[in-house]
Amino acid sequence: MGDIRPEDLEKRQDGRNIDSRLGELSGEGAQQRVRDIDEANPTRGVLRTRPSRSGVLAESPSYYGQPALKEPVWIWSIPLYFYVGGVAGAASVLGAATDVAGGKHLEGMGRKCRWVGTVGDMVSAGLLIYDLGRPERFLNMMRVFRPTSPMSVGSWVLAGSGAMNTASLLFAGRRGWLGRAGEGAALGAGLFGFPLAGYTAVLIANTAVPVWQATRKTLPLLFMSSAMASAGSLLELLPHSRGEEKILRLFSTLGKVCELLAGVAVQHEASRLEVLERPLKHGPTGRMWKAAKACTAASLVLGVWPGRRRWMKVAGALLGSTGALLTRFAVFRAGKASASDPQATFQPQREGMGAAEVTGNTHASDGRPFEFPLPVLRESPEPPRRQTSSARFEELEPEPPSAPES
Amino acid sequence: MGQKGFFTDTTLCIGCKACEVACKQWNQLPDDGFRLTGMSYDNTGHLGASTWRHVAFVERPVPLPTQTVGLMDFSWLMSSDVCKHCQRAGCLEACPTGAIIRTEFDTVYVQPDVCNGCGYCVAACPFGVIDRREDDGRAWKCTLCYDRLGEDMTPACAKACPTASIQFGDVDELRERAYRRVAQLHEKGWEQAYLYGADAESQPGTGGLNAFFLLVDKPEVYNLPPDPVVPTMKGKEAWASMGWGALGMAVVALGAVLFGREVTHG
Ligand code: SF4
Ligand code: SF4
Repeated sequence: MGDIRPEDLEKRQDGRNIDSRLGELSGEGAQQRVRDIDEANPTRGVLRTRPSRSGVLAESPSYYGQPALKEPVWIWSIPLYFYVGGVAGAASVLGAATDVAGGKHLEGMGRKCRWVGTVGDMVSAGLLIYDLGRPERFLNMMRVFRPTSPMSVGSWVLAGSGAMNTASLLFAGRRGWLGRAGEGAALGAGLFGFPLAGYTAVLIANTAVPVWQATRKTLPLLFMSSAMASAGSLLELLPHSRGEEKILRLFSTLGKVCELLAGVAVQHEASRLEVLERPLKHGPTGRMWKAAKACTAASLVLGVWPGRRRWMKVAGALLGSTGALLTRFAVFRAGKASASDPQATFQPQREGMGAAEVTGNTHASDGRPFEFPLPVLRESPEPPRRQTSSARFEELEPEPPSAPES
Repeated sequence: MGQKGFFTDTTLCIGCKACEVACKQWNQLPDDGFRLTGMSYDNTGHLGASTWRHVAFVERPVPLPTQTVGLMDFSWLMSSDVCKHCQRAGCLEACPTGAIIRTEFDTVYVQPDVCNGCGYCVAACPFGVIDRREDDGRAWKCTLCYDRLGEDMTPACAKACPTASIQFGDVDELRERAYRRVAQLHEKGWEQAYLYGADAESQPGTGGLNAFFLLVDKPEVYNLPPDPVVPTMKGKEAWASMGWGALGMAVVALGAVLFGREVTHG
């Protein structure tokens, strides 16, 4: 070993304490760099609970209250993408509807919708790539088509929608078969618009995250109606004629009404269990969820107020957009919160909301038959504990604050 | 080749962490910072991107059935956790790039050169196993020593386990062994011993696990979900709901356009 001292190894902070000069590392994890884990007790003060108390003998057992699942690793760009993708999808749908049913003098509106769709698709792709751990490998998304993965389906939808929207813009107004191809592409973009607005909800519902999984029947409705509201609101901010205004106003108003109703439905679906509903009710996420509803409701009121002035229109559109954005962020953060709460994972499964819900299996994994609702408590009564001086499982008293020294 | 897997008999685990160390050494994974978590003697906490075997230390003020301690009721449960290599793997079904594959040994493997770090597998694993590292962006988890299996070698953790708590082999054979062990424990008075995830009957949500466990308390105590389900089993309802949403959206869009046209014309 000669010149290698332990201090050198520590300085290298390689996390393996191996001198890489002595040989090449080629194992499975050799490229990984070291990272410190989060300290459970950074204050280094006395812990106030006995692990044995907080863990197994608590009413519903868990492993020292540690999360059972991994929190989703996604960052802010993903809920933002939910919003932008929703706008792009709903705008494409509205554009196609205008082409089909609008007639000659609404052509301008169709084009505007396709612009919003195209730009939205591009921004969406940018946001998605930004979130990837290895953005340079984005094209691997197009390597396979996997129907069991909403993310795979969604990438193809996004790619298809982007291609269709762009083609329809490029070929718009051309004569001959190119023009007809452009019209076809506009319709195609409209068809892709539906899944583009809704698949993101399926994507998050199709995870192990308790609150997302539990609200899988209503989340897509929420996302799609919120997409209508946000696309309408955004288009209302762009210059438009009086006829177009009527359409946009109706579109976004209906979207907002549906968004509010779907929001109630989501909350109702989550309320099957207190642990599932908790993140939507309490804390910063709960406030965000409420604020989203308030913004949407305010925007709805401004939208239907008789004799609208210009500022009311702008304020209504802005509030509508804010409401839609906040909705996505609230749902996203509620998912993160519920993933790190072990009880949100365990209790629904004990209540038959795990595999039992789909397969109707009758036995829990500890071999005992499911009875619905299952008691989450330990079945066997607590064995009588002997009162001895060494049975120290009580909570420790908090340390009395030491008097400041003068 | 056949189905390879682990049978982890937690009643034999002594918490020596040889498996954790062997795994890290073979796979050249970095350490986790040598800090206690502040709970029991567990210094790794949970499975993660750089921890592919994790020994749980469950401290209970409950005696084990055949043991009595003079002064107080107390027992340890120790259990070495690992990726379950599910028959229906949430991570595999979710991965949009095809980076996660089922190998010829019927194990679940992440191909390092394909993963683009989208993180979908992290949210889709019902056991919270796989994780993405910020520093290299890839999703990481136990490979069941894919590189060793190819050479007909035993995975590092099973090789290093001094008490045969971690047993490696053909899943069918392991299952037989596990049933025998449960019967044996029941005879000895350990009535609560049972197998976790041994087959599709006992865990229909995952179709059974290639790495299954013998436990003596509720799964939650070991941080295992009692009735896990691969998310795709429930995903159909979400797709159906999206279909209804699309119908509604079409009606609203067409209705708005027709209405607007009427107004402009009339
Ligand atoms: S335990 Fe999780 S990471 Fe392992 S195979 Fe199953 S779903 Fe994938
Ligand atoms: S992070 Fe990698 S392995 Fe996981 S789903 Fe995405 S591409 Fe697949």
